[in-house]
Amino acid sequence: MSTIARSRPASVVLSDRKARLLATPFRHVDVLLIGSTIAVAMLSLLMIYSSTQPKLAAQHIDQLYFVKRQAVAILVGITLMFGVMAIDYRKLRDLGVLFYVATVLGLLAVLSPLGHATKGAQARFPLPGGFELQPSEFAKFALIIALAAYLQQHRGELDAWRVAVAVTLGIVPIGLVLLQPDLGTDLVLVVILLGLLTVAGVKVRHLLVLLLLAVTACGAVVQLGVLKRYQIDRLTSFLHQGQNVKGATYNVHQSKIAIGNGHLTGKGFHRGTQTRLGFVPEQHTDFIFTVVGEELGFAGGATLLALFALIVWRTWRTAMLAGDFFGTLICIGVTALLTFQIFENVGMTMGIMPVTGIPLPFMSYGGSAVMAYFLCIGLVAGVHMRRFT
Amino acid sequence: MIEGRQVRVGIVGVVIVALFCALFVRLWFLQVGSGNQVAAAVQTNSVRTVRIPAPRGEVVDVHGNVIVDNAVKTAITVRRNLDGKQRVDVLNRLSVVLGQPIPLLQKALDDPRVSPYSPVPVATDVPFDQLAYVKEHQADFPGVDAVALTVRRYHTWGNPSMPLAPQLIGYVGEINGNELKARKGQGYELGDTIGKSGIELSMESELRGTPGYDKLEVDNRGRVQRVVEHKDPIPGNNVYLTLDANLQGTAQAALGQAMQQDRALQDPTFKDRFVTFKAPGAAFVLLDARDGSIKAMASQPDFDPNIFVQKNGIDTPTWRWLNDPANFQPLTNRAVQGLYAPGSTFKPVTATAMLQSGFRTPQTPYNDTGSFKCCLNQPPFLNDHGTAYGTVNLPRALTVSSDAYFYTVGYQFWQWFHIGDPRGHMLQDVAKSYGFGSPTGINLADEARGRVPDSAWKIAFNVNTADPVQKAQNSVWNPGDDILMAVGQGDLLVSPLQLASAYQTLFNNGTRFVPRLVDHVTDYRGNVLRQIAPVRKDPIALPAGAHDAIVQGLMGVASDPKGTAYSAFQGFPLPLVPVAGKTGTAQVRGKSATSIFVAVTKPDAPDLVAASFVEEAGYGAAVSAPIVRHVLDAAYGLPSSPQVQINGAANTSQGN
Repeated sequence: MSTIARSRPASVVLSDRKARLLATPFRHVDVLLIGSTIAVAMLSLLMIYSSTQPKLAAQHIDQLYFVKRQAVAILVGITLMFGVMAIDYRKLRDLGVLFYVATVLGLLAVLSPLGHATKGAQARFPLPGGFELQPSEFAKFALIIALAAYLQQHRGELDAWRVAVAVTLGIVPIGLVLLQPDLGTDLVLVVILLGLLTVAGVKVRHLLVLLLLAVTACGAVVQLGVLKRYQIDRLTSFLHQGQNVKGATYNVHQSKIAIGNGHLTGKGFHRGTQTRLGFVPEQHTDFIFTVVGEELGFAGGATLLALFALIVWRTWRTAMLAGDFFGTLICIGVTALLTFQIFENVGMTMGIMPVTGIPLPFMSYGGSAVMAYFLCIGLVAGVHMRRFT
Repeated sequence: MIEGRQVRVGIVGVVIVALFCALFVRLWFLQVGSGNQVAAAVQTNSVRTVRIPAPRGEVVDVHGNVIVDNAVKTAITVRRNLDGKQRVDVLNRLSVVLGQPIPLLQKALDDPRVSPYSPVPVATDVPFDQLAYVKEHQADFPGVDAVALTVRRYHTWGNPSMPLAPQLIGYVGEINGNELKARKGQGYELGDTIGKSGIELSMESELRGTPGYDKLEVDNRGRVQRVVEHKDPIPGNNVYLTLDANLQGTAQAALGQAMQQDRALQDPTFKDRFVTFKAPGAAFVLLDARDGSIKAMASQPDFDPNIFVQKNGIDTPTWRWLNDPANFQPLTNRAVQGLYAPGSTFKPVTATAMLQSGFRTPQTPYNDTGSFKCCLNQPPFLNDHGTAYGTVNLPRALTVSSDAYFYTVGYQFWQWFHIGDPRGHMLQDVAKSYGFGSPTGINLADEARGRVPDSAWKIAFNVNTADPVQKAQNSVWNPGDDILMAVGQGDLLVSPLQLASAYQTLFNNGTRFVPRLVDHVTDYRGNVLRQIAPVRKDPIALPAGAHDAIVQGLMGVASDPKGTAYSAFQGFPLPLVPVAGKTGTAQVRGKSATSIFVAVTKPDAPDLVAASFVEEAGYGAAVSAPIVRHVLDAAYGLPSSPQVQINGAANTSQGN
């Protein structure tokens, strides 16, 4: 088992190098998956520039402030991705416990005074250079590995007890994230959990019971006042759009206007009035899709969705082709993660899903998230290129 | 188990395809399917239109003297979107510099009439040193600016100065809800200035101008990003009146002085105690007899229109004061809105009807015994002081103002009415043909119609009387109704302008004009846009000999020693400027008489018509005749006393 991570002397002749390379799993790398992921990440830089430049210019701050930071995160993310690819994912199976414990500790620590509260959530660690680390984003990655490892281990023997253990593995980080509170990440974790359980072969009646429990839990969360009033308003506002444009539906109202303003071909890069005038709140993060919609129009929006569909398809396809069940589960976890986040985020900007703070993968500004997604893609690509071994 | 895996992963795949399809469809619907709706939403979202008001046109007299224009005032403006801390600081500092309390500035800044995107004027007429201070310490006053505003300016005339023709010119104010509704589709908006009365109202469409605008792109916090589109306002057109500011001022002053002098005189109507005249109001009209142009139109008491355009409009106490009946309605233009019994000034109209009916010829003698008794059970109708004038014909009856002569004419009309002769309505018909009972058509709002009473009117007037017996009695057209109307009393009501207009018609041998106020209109650069030609109305056919006989009689009024206005025209060069006139002393129940005088100069080729009405003031010869004389002095450039001199003696001598 060789990897490119191993350094070679510079004197190695080309033919030798080529032969070695051919012997590595990298010859089976999924170029479509990697390519489309990087393409989306590049687009995100343009869109972040478009949505943040006017405000930064007005404040006489470096107009590339956000773009530069995101570019750094993307570079780190790509590096991490290739790093993960280089490691045989089957080795990660044994490290699953480690990842899981580290994540839970991280989530606990961020709730302590070490963590940093922004926008009503205690979710970040401040890092030098003004960067921040958001452990809940890495929790997605860790949960996929840990759950996949556990479910693969007990494949075919998933009785009620083991299902309960699996659910408990999920509940711990979910509960900790709920304390921040970060409802969006929680929803993603729930979807990952359900997706993995479904594919792992859990009995249909167990799944139904789980669904029932999930619904009850949601009801309890709303009823018991764990959520703040604004969160409930945001969640339910998509049900009554058009009313109270200044309040809870303001974001969605402005978001829909911006997207609608793009028409077929868009206003052109950096020419969207709604974007430039800052009508859409949180536009470079959760509402980044509105920039695409307004400036690049249906052509651009549909292209971006097609790129996302390509990424999801390649991930899902890898689940089908994976050499072992652990690989399949990892890919299903990533598929669930990506599909849900894309659907929820894009749906939210178009008014068909409730407003929750879920970023659009590879597009939204936010370093931790971008790195976590590249880690996930790295996992999938790793499964893909080792499907024959 | 491989089978199971593929089935379950396949299910996940189906779900994914469904979700992506939903996104594509929704995206298509939002961006391509609902185009116009979104375009409108984008417009209202980010583009704000701020109106730039147009300077109003000027009002100028016939010689080019400006009566109304716009003054440039200095003002301090404050931008609206200061944040809380800044706003408090700025208002605190401004309050100190301007010496105005903070709540006042606060209130001005929150004025909802000003667009949130334009700076709000918080103080006007700011002294230079304060402006300079603000400019020099700009850093301490973010969002504060010193600007020039245009404000309507109504000029004054004379010494002591007085507002010129305030009721005729009118005033402007902020448009109200009703005006906005009535002028829907003409581009008015809340906060616009609009003419409220007088020329300002009737020439609104010319004076207004076309507002300009700035289309501003604003961001989500309402901060202006750039001007998308700018259009300069077009100033309003200038209106040139037929008015002569000098004669107007003279007339206004004369009315005021005469009223003041009259208030010091004893009213002989009250024999038992010493009571002075009240003289609460007066009106004056000076027409060009050739085309009906108005050279002067005065009404007293008056007001200063500038109080309507100060800083925040007129204040409530002043507005109440102006509308309190106890202050005799200074806002009313008595020349067109005041209604009075015309008294003896109506006699030429009665004479016209008499000649038309054939009852008497101009030369038919009548023996005036000082009274006329029509009916057995009624006291006789008396001449003033019961004076017997002996044998008079029509011109003489007019010169000495014999009431008995005209009582008998009125009684004859009643008799014809009584037996169903068509001539029974001739007095009313002739009065209406002279224009009484209907508006003259002058270009001013709310002109009074007046009233020419007849049998039908009397029935209609009493239709709501509850007691049936009283109703029947009141509805009867009695001999006294025609007899009193013949001498301009009873239920007859005319406006000063109607009376002047009727004399113009008579002296022009039946040619009638619509009284004319506006001569021409120019654009703001001075290019003449329209010349407003005199408008003729259908002429009336005067009976043969009527014009000459009546003019002869009225010329005697000023020139004959027995004429009622002889003393008022002492020293007036009558051979040079012949004057025909008629005094009127109209009785008003429970009040002193209205003093009236009408005069027409150069009757051979009628030049000017002047009419003066002074309420509760005594004899026409005493108050109104001197007023007319005084204005005619000015009109012909004759030497004159600086003040009008009313003739109190005329109140006790004969002649009404």
